[in-house]
Amino acid sequence: MTSIASRHPNLPPPEGERRPGARRAKAQRLTRAALGRHPIGMLFSAPYALFVAVLFAYPLGLAVWISFHRYFFAAPGVSVPRPYVGLANYEAVLDDPAVRQAFLNIAIFLVINVPLTVMLSLVLATALNAVIPFRAFFRTSFFVPYVTASVATVGVWLFMFSSGGIASNALGPLAPHPSWLINEQWAMPTIAIYVTWKGLGIFILLYLAALQSVPKELYEAAKVDGASWWHRFLSVTVPGVRQVTTLVTLLAIITGANLFTEPYLLTGGGGPNGKSTSPVLQIYETGIEQNHPDFASALGVILVVGVLLIVGIQQLVQRRQT
Amino acid sequence: MKSRIVVAAAAPLILGLLAACGGGGGVSASSAADAHGPISIWYSNNTQEVAWGEQMVASWNKLHPSEKVTGQQIPAAASSEEVIGAAITAGSEPCLIYNTAPAAVPTFEQQGGLVSLSSFPGGASYIEARSGAGASVYKSPDGQYYQLPWKSNPVMIFYNKKVFAKAGISTTNPPLSTYSEFLATSKKLVSSGAAKYAIYPDPSSDFFQAWYDFYPMYAAETGGTELVQNGKATFNSTAGDAVAAFWQQMYAEGLAGKGSYTNDPFADGTAAMAIVGPWAIASYQGKVDWGVVPVPTTAGSHGDQVPTFSDAKNIAMYASCKNRGTAWDFLKYSTSTTEDGKLLAMTGQMPMRQGIQQLYASYFKANPSYTEFAAEAAHTIEVPNVPNSIEDWQVFRDAWSKSVIFGQQSPDSALAGAATQINKLVASGATP
Amino acid sequence: MTQTVPPAPEVTAAAAAASDDVPEIEPRVPRSWWRLIVLLFGSLIFLFPFYYMIVGSFQKTANTALSGVIPSPGNLTLHNYSQINAALSLGKALLNSAIFTGGVLLGTLVFGVLAGYALAQLRFRGRGLVFAFMLLLLMVPFQLLIIPLYVLIVRDYGLGDSYLGMIAPFAINSTAVFIFRQFFLQVPSELFDAARIDGASELRVLTRVALPLVRPALLTAMLLTFIGPWNEFLWPLLITKQQSMQPLTVALANYISTVSGVATNPYGAIMAGAVVLAVPVVVLVIVFQRHFVSVNIGSAVKG
Repeated sequence: MTSIASRHPNLPPPEGERRPGARRAKAQRLTRAALGRHPIGMLFSAPYALFVAVLFAYPLGLAVWISFHRYFFAAPGVSVPRPYVGLANYEAVLDDPAVRQAFLNIAIFLVINVPLTVMLSLVLATALNAVIPFRAFFRTSFFVPYVTASVATVGVWLFMFSSGGIASNALGPLAPHPSWLINEQWAMPTIAIYVTWKGLGIFILLYLAALQSVPKELYEAAKVDGASWWHRFLSVTVPGVRQVTTLVTLLAIITGANLFTEPYLLTGGGGPNGKSTSPVLQIYETGIEQNHPDFASALGVILVVGVLLIVGIQQLVQRRQT
Repeated sequence: MKSRIVVAAAAPLILGLLAACGGGGGVSASSAADAHGPISIWYSNNTQEVAWGEQMVASWNKLHPSEKVTGQQIPAAASSEEVIGAAITAGSEPCLIYNTAPAAVPTFEQQGGLVSLSSFPGGASYIEARSGAGASVYKSPDGQYYQLPWKSNPVMIFYNKKVFAKAGISTTNPPLSTYSEFLATSKKLVSSGAAKYAIYPDPSSDFFQAWYDFYPMYAAETGGTELVQNGKATFNSTAGDAVAAFWQQMYAEGLAGKGSYTNDPFADGTAAMAIVGPWAIASYQGKVDWGVVPVPTTAGSHGDQVPTFSDAKNIAMYASCKNRGTAWDFLKYSTSTTEDGKLLAMTGQMPMRQGIQQLYASYFKANPSYTEFAAEAAHTIEVPNVPNSIEDWQVFRDAWSKSVIFGQQSPDSALAGAATQINKLVASGATP
Repeated sequence: MTQTVPPAPEVTAAAAAASDDVPEIEPRVPRSWWRLIVLLFGSLIFLFPFYYMIVGSFQKTANTALSGVIPSPGNLTLHNYSQINAALSLGKALLNSAIFTGGVLLGTLVFGVLAGYALAQLRFRGRGLVFAFMLLLLMVPFQLLIIPLYVLIVRDYGLGDSYLGMIAPFAINSTAVFIFRQFFLQVPSELFDAARIDGASELRVLTRVALPLVRPALLTAMLLTFIGPWNEFLWPLLITKQQSMQPLTVALANYISTVSGVATNPYGAIMAGAVVLAVPVVVLVIVFQRHFVSVNIGSAVKG
């Protein structure tokens, strides 16, 4: 009969067997207390932790530090005064009308993009969730814009939405004048539609996965109760994929708040009268183009805090619902 | 979990505090000033300038095999100031950049990225001997030269002779010298259907766009006043308001386009005129039969004595340069009479050298259309060498966009607001 | 043990049979026609810009009229491709993009899986901290960090104009780590405990038990990770000064904003560059699309 100790090495050895392994067991207990039950986890996560510390935490800390000082970038070896200025940069950011316009633009963007993304991806995923001819083709076609580099798709959108481009030609007299991307009212909505189109693929895939875990019995039961397909959709599908809806909403919000590439490429910067600028574009312009990283860092911190707030509120609301 | 988030948030702050007291090493100025050896330079993306640069570098390398120069085009980006600024920060910029905008020099200086050319023996006198009295506007507030005035592109009005003929306007002496004449001609061009727009300066909000619509005409109208003088903005004046009102009318009546345009509207015939300098001529070859006149003023003045904006690009020496002795010698070599002549011949841009019309008479005889530019080159103004100069221009451009282009505010009040802001910026950046 | 025939197993068996991929379809034909129409319409909208991209890249002069949607034989040329290839070397730029993306994928797959597994199944000091940082990283915009990162990587480490410098800030994709963690959380820990009780070291548990399991999540994570560097142009723009090092995104973006004006058909040349940038990926997606079975993604996302 094998000893209990050898079969369960974690148990403290019985009275008579305490002496031989006693010291080792105690050492094990101490390391366990100090380093956790699986200290090798530290080894496994070390590369990632190092990566995060050096390439994220340190620049983030530096950026926050910069936001409280008067700071501009100087050549190596040149020492310039970098006085502490408290909240001066934050005040400058909040006073700046261009920044306020940027946040307003993002609000417009989110109002258009997020509901549209959620609805369209759910509808298309629902439509895809059946045996239909060419299913693989459809699935692929929705995914293609997502995997294509933004610069490429921007190029063709610039072509389509230029003044005299086919978007305007297709609408004829209804087309906005001036044309889309140089129109103050239409610049941001056009960008919102572009981003929705581009990103829908991954969200459709996410919803597809979730739809397949909605139990068929629920649909059966609803059908038996005589519910129409619309009611079945509302009462079975939508609640069934609630977790993914939350995820999709969250991802869309974070992506929208950090919008940069699209305003930069589609409207060449701030757009007509600054109507399609975004906070991150402002960070880039003030931090890199104008060499005012103090202003840019303050703006960045405000943006991050804003996003965290929104995400936090969303989580609270969701937690209250379940 | 909460405490972990707090720690997670605090840690970067601590790391950042530690980091902020860091700093790499630079190049020690005293030893570098006499050092000789290989250097690298950047020139612009302009095809003709690249050709000139390559032949110049090749000829130097033949004469000085131990002090080889490596030349390359400036990395492409939205603006060269951005690229150079980032390179300065990283310490990766070359010794000389043949594409330094005067407006960016105050910023580069503030960064500690420039080497004073006056610090070389005979530096200031070399610059002044070549460019004459006009060189003094390129001095920095501390009286030293951090840039060498290299070439200018006096901004003038180009007009499309074919389009003008189609609209029934004289192509040899078009009525474009007063504001009222210019407006009337523009209306005629558009209403006759000869062109979609009379003129189409780029309406984007980059800080430098004002140099191609407002500034040349402001120079003409005021007889040569810079945007900022003696620390104060000057454009909140009758002259400034007049220029703004002129352009506002052009935009309001659809004579100038408000949307951004990828191609060159003058080259493809969308606009009948362009307000630009001789560097653009290369892109009009074979596409437009062009003529050129000075920019208009309210009263109208004739001849090529009308002041305009220089649109100069200069050469500067940068702080990461190790072999500054070679760099200075090369700088003088590339701005010699011979090389200036080659620059003129290969690019059509005006070297900022005294008396180019006499020195290179044969060129001007062969290319009479460039004589106008040579004459104008003697009457150009520059962007003011003041602190925060790029930001000043951005403030101006934003006010201009809002009021003149998009008509959401009256130009007078917009310009007044911009002037106040610019005064503050200049004052805040001035060293006490 | 009495033999009973509980109704539950029958229902579950039926449900199991029906559960592979396909819910019951209404016997009435109109429903699937409705789906087809919606999907067809959707596909058309999604794919049209790509079709137009190809058409536009072959046009001699840009034809923005509605009729330009159909390529007209008289207006076809390969000149746009040669023009953009003259302005920026398409092959080298594409190679740079591939190296950049490949490096990030490698870093994420190797170190991300390790980290995800550790965060999910291992208890060690500092675990919560790493997790909290990961969440924070997901929410902070890259542009906030870009200048300090630039100074760090180019000045302090001297990695300007190098592939390593390009890859560094993206080396391990935190979304992928999050996905791996979520995935491993779902795996019952009894599997790992059993291996541990059998005397396996943690390393062996990882290689023998965890790694073989993670394959479904790999594809999702790879997809999400791939998009970042493939799309990215701001960071390589700052890092690379030599044109020979620039990925195609940077080269094309610069072309669009600066040099395109001098081309004979600027839009055509831009379209040509866009086609070169888009086609390899689209081809890859089409070839591997049968692997994008939704079940993989679903299991990775739950929880």
